Amino acid sequence: MTVPGRTPREETGSVSDWDSHLPADTPGELAVVEVRTSASAALIPTIRAVASDLAARADFDLDAISDLRMAVDEACATLVDVAAPATMLQCTFRVHPEHIEVHAHVRGGSADAAVSTDTFGWRVLQTLADNVEALRQDSADGADPAGPTVGIRLDKHAGAPPR
Amino acid sequence: MPRPTHGAGELGVTFERPDARHTLLVVEGEIDTLTAGALERALSGLLAEPAEVLVVDLTAVTFLASSGLAVLIRTANEAGERRLRLVAAARAVRRPMEITGSDQLFDLYPDRAAALSPSD
Repeated sequence: MTVPGRTPREETGSVSDWDSHLPADTPGELAVVEVRTSASAALIPTIRAVASDLAARADFDLDAISDLRMAVDEACATLVDVAAPATMLQCTFRVHPEHIEVHAHVRGGSADAAVSTDTFGWRVLQTLADNVEALRQDSADGADPAGPTVGIRLDKHAGAPPR
Repeated sequence: MPRPTHGAGELGVTFERPDARHTLLVVEGEIDTLTAGALERALSGLLAEPAEVLVVDLTAVTFLASSGLAVLIRTANEAGERRLRLVAAARAVRRPMEITGSDQLFDLYPDRAAALSPSD
């Protein structure tokens, strides 16, 4: 059986799941996955499991899968710490051919809520990810809760870069 | 339905005294912000032991976050002259230690038998 307009090809172990199951007509970005949970530490294991699964399916090497799982855990744990009570944590994964971009954010619990970048955890995060930045945007007047949007954006390449 | 012995948020910690020289702490599960406190309490208990050699078996640990790593580093510092021996073979534990350079702070062993051996 042939799908019209698509060249049939054999599945091989070296072809990643994204290549074989997703349309290739979105150059540079193959898949977007959003995970939205209560901003609670108890749900971070679920988010880091998604990160690990996406990296494995995108043919990341084993060290890079481990690094991304730990980086996402670190980013989410940092954000849950500053989130307002009873708010949500949103984590978006953009899977590109050679890297995964992660953007996680929460609504901060106080007007001066921000990601602390002078911690051991932040240094570890910088080591794990290829690029990482702390984001902060003040909320519009009258927003409820009134805290700023606090986020972390990071990027991880499929193979460990030469050190 | 089969489920892991220690789910998210739970950490298994067991003390063993294989001989007069060694005290062994066996840790099972995921070490993250939810469980780092339980690990810290268990490690305080280990440091209070009079044994000459302190061994932490992390073979059954499937995730190690920076919060857990920080607890292990503090314990290694507090152990002072008594070096802290860690049993760790899996990538989930080895990789975080290697990438942060903290593997230099511990005596790492690939299996429990090696960590409990009388050499050195």
